[in-house]
Amino acid sequence: MCLRLRLHGISSARRPLPDNTMEKQMDNGRRIRVLLAKPGLDGHDVGAKVIALGLRDAGMEVIYTGIRWTPEEIAEVALQESVDVVGLSSLSGAHKKLFPRVVELLRAKGMSDVLVIGGGNIPEADIPYLEEKGIRKVFGSGSTIEAIADFIRQQLI
Amino acid sequence: MTEIFSQEKLKDIEEKRREWEKGTYQAALDRMHAAREENRFYTPLDIKDYDFLEKEGFPGQYPFTAGEYAAKSPGSPEIEDSERLLTQATLYYSGYGTPEDTRDYYKQMQAMDQRVGPNLAFDLPTQLGLDSDNPVALGEIGRTGVAIDSLRDMEVVYEAFVNNLDLDKIASSWTINAPASIITAMYAVLAKKRGIPLSKLRGTPQNDILKEYIARGTYIFPPRPAMRLTRDMMVYLTKHMPLFNIMTIAMSHIQSAGADSEGLVGIVISNGIAYVQMGIDAGLDVDVFVKRLPFLTAACTTVEIYREIARARAFRRMWAKVMKERFGAKDPRSCMPRGAWGVGVSGSAMVPQRCLNNLTRAVIIGVADAMAGGRATMTCYDEPLELGHSLEARQLNYDAERIIRYEAKLLDVMDPWAGSYFMEALTDEVEAKAWKIIHEIDKMGGAVAAVEAGYQYRVCARGAYERHRKIFNGERIMVGVNRFVGPHELDVPINRHHPYDAMRRENAEERQIANLKELKRNRNNKNIEVNLKRLEEAARDETANLMPLLIEAVEEYATLGEICSSLIKVFGTYRGPGL
Repeated sequence: MCLRLRLHGISSARRPLPDNTMEKQMDNGRRIRVLLAKPGLDGHDVGAKVIALGLRDAGMEVIYTGIRWTPEEIAEVALQESVDVVGLSSLSGAHKKLFPRVVELLRAKGMSDVLVIGGGNIPEADIPYLEEKGIRKVFGSGSTIEAIADFIRQQLI
Repeated sequence: MTEIFSQEKLKDIEEKRREWEKGTYQAALDRMHAAREENRFYTPLDIKDYDFLEKEGFPGQYPFTAGEYAAKSPGSPEIEDSERLLTQATLYYSGYGTPEDTRDYYKQMQAMDQRVGPNLAFDLPTQLGLDSDNPVALGEIGRTGVAIDSLRDMEVVYEAFVNNLDLDKIASSWTINAPASIITAMYAVLAKKRGIPLSKLRGTPQNDILKEYIARGTYIFPPRPAMRLTRDMMVYLTKHMPLFNIMTIAMSHIQSAGADSEGLVGIVISNGIAYVQMGIDAGLDVDVFVKRLPFLTAACTTVEIYREIARARAFRRMWAKVMKERFGAKDPRSCMPRGAWGVGVSGSAMVPQRCLNNLTRAVIIGVADAMAGGRATMTCYDEPLELGHSLEARQLNYDAERIIRYEAKLLDVMDPWAGSYFMEALTDEVEAKAWKIIHEIDKMGGAVAAVEAGYQYRVCARGAYERHRKIFNGERIMVGVNRFVGPHELDVPINRHHPYDAMRRENAEERQIANLKELKRNRNNKNIEVNLKRLEEAARDETANLMPLLIEAVEEYATLGEICSSLIKVFGTYRGPGL
C-alpha cells in the first residue's frame, strides 16, 4: 500500500519566520517536527487545520495528514518523517480505542520517545485513561496554539 | 437606475457629512480615544444607485430579498403547543447504537406523544459505506448515530413507525450523504413491502456530496462518480418519488469549516449551480426538480448579526438571479431559494465556557433570524457540551422564540431592514464579494472541478485559521473565553444527563456485529453475488441509472459495505487533501 501524502501549502497563511526562532528549535539547532493526524473516521478537521497552521507560524515543521487515517498509517508516516511529536485529533468518540493504539504502534516501531498529545472534544472523564495509555496531554476545545507550542517545547527541550 | 435622492440633495449631504467628520465626529473620537471602525454611520451616499424594484421587490416574489413567503409561517409545533411535554424531542436529530436501540428510543418518544417521523443520525461507518464488522470501523459503531448495515436494520428502526405513523403519514429526515442513494433504495423497498406507493413517500436526505469534500468529510468515492450517483437519485426521485426532497444544499457546515459570509454564499451558490446543471443535463425539467432542492441555510457561527442578515438577503436575491438568468426557470416559484429563510443558529456560535452565555448568543441570533425572514428558531445553550439538551435549556429555547414572536412581535414586519442605508450597503458588499467567488469557481470549470483542485477546502482552511488566530490574539473577543475571565467571574454549573442508555451505548458494537453475522447466515448469498456483479457492470456505464439495481441489491439484503465495495471497484476511493 502506497501512502500518498499530499502536502498542500497555504502560501498566504505562511509568514516569514520571526527572528527569534532560535528558542523554538531543538538543542541541536533543527526545528521541531510535528505530525498532526486524524485517526478513525471522524471528519471534523477545523481544529487540526488551525493548529497545523498555528504551529507552523510558531516555527515548527508541521505535516497534517488530512482525515481518515488508520493508526497503522499514522505510525508509518511518523516513522518515515522522523517526527518529534504526534498530535491526534478525534471528535467522534472513538478516542479511547484509537489513541492508545497509535501509541502502541509507535512503541513497536521503536518510537517510544515521540511525544504523543491528543485533542478534540474529549470528555474530562476520559483524560486520566488516555494519559495512562501514553497520551502525555490532552488539549480540548478552547486550547490555544501558544499553550500547545509551549508544552511541546518544554517536553522536548 | 432610479434615484431616491436627487443629485443636488446628495451633494448637500456630502458636504454636510464632510463637515460633520471634521467637526463633531473627530471631536467625539478624540474625546473618547475611539477608533473609526467602531463608530460608523451610514447615509444615503452609501446607496446612491439603489433601485427598490431591482434589489428588493416584494416578499414572496422575485428576487425574494425580502423573504420566501409573503406572510409569516406559524411557529413550530414545540412552541405553539404547550400541551407537549418538554421531555419529548420531536424533531431533534437523534439515533444511536443498534437499530433496536434507536427503534426503542423512538417508541419512548412516541409514548410521550411524539407524532412525527424520525430525524435520523447515522454512525460514521454507515455514513462512509462501511459495515459494522469492518476492522476500520473499530470503536465507531453506533456512536454518532445508528448503525445501518442493510435493509434489515432500516426495517427494525421503522418498526417504530407503523399504523398512524406509517411511511405515507410521516416525513423522514436523514443526515446521510455519500450512501444516500442506498439508504433511499432501502426505504423504497420498505415501502413496497408495506404496500405503500412510492409516490406518497416524503423525506429529506441531506445528500449534498460537494459539501462533504469541502467541509464535512463523509465522502466515499471521488467527486465525479459521486455526482453521478446524485444524478441517478435525482432522476429516479423526480420520476418515482416526487414528494421526496433530493437533498438539502447545506451552508452551516461550510461556515463552520471556516468560510466567512461571502465565501459561504459564493461556495454554496456554486454548489447549487452544479446540482441544477446536472439535473438539466440529465434531461429533467428545471421547474419540476428544483422544487426538491431546498437549502439548509441555518449557518451562524458568529454573533455579528448585521453581516449575517446581509448574508441572508444577498443569498436569496443571488440565487433567484441565478435561477432566472443562468437557468431560464419559467415558473417564478422556481427562483425562490427554498429553505433560505433567516440566518439560523449554529452550535459553532457557542462555546463550552460559561455556557449560559450561549443563551444570550442564541437570542441575539434568534432576533436576527426573525429580522431576516426566519422563524427565530434557536439552538439550546448547552449544545457545546456533551450530547443532549437539558430540560431547562429546551424550555428557555422555546420561551425565547415565543417572546420574540409574541411579545417583541419581531415577525410582524417583513424585511424590516429593507431600505436601511447601512443594511443595503452591506448586502451589496456581501453580494459583490460572493459573485467574485462564483466567477472564480466558474473559471475553474465549476464547483466539481474546484473541489477536485481543493479550492474550497483551502478557502475554508485559510478562513478557519484567520478566525482562530484572531481569537488567540484577542483581536476577536469571545466573552468568557479570551476576555472577561477574571477570578471573580462565575461559571455556573449545569445539570444534564445523556439522552441515550449508557449500557446500550457501551455494547452497541458487539451487538451489531452479531446482528450482521446473523443476517449473512440467513440470506441468499448467491442472489447477492449476481446482483452485485450486475451493479458493477452498470456502474461502468456512465449513462445507466443505478437506482433500480441498488433497489434489487438491498432487497436481497446485500449490505451497505458490500454494495459500496462493488462500486469502489469501478469508481475508486478518495483521500482528501491535508496541509
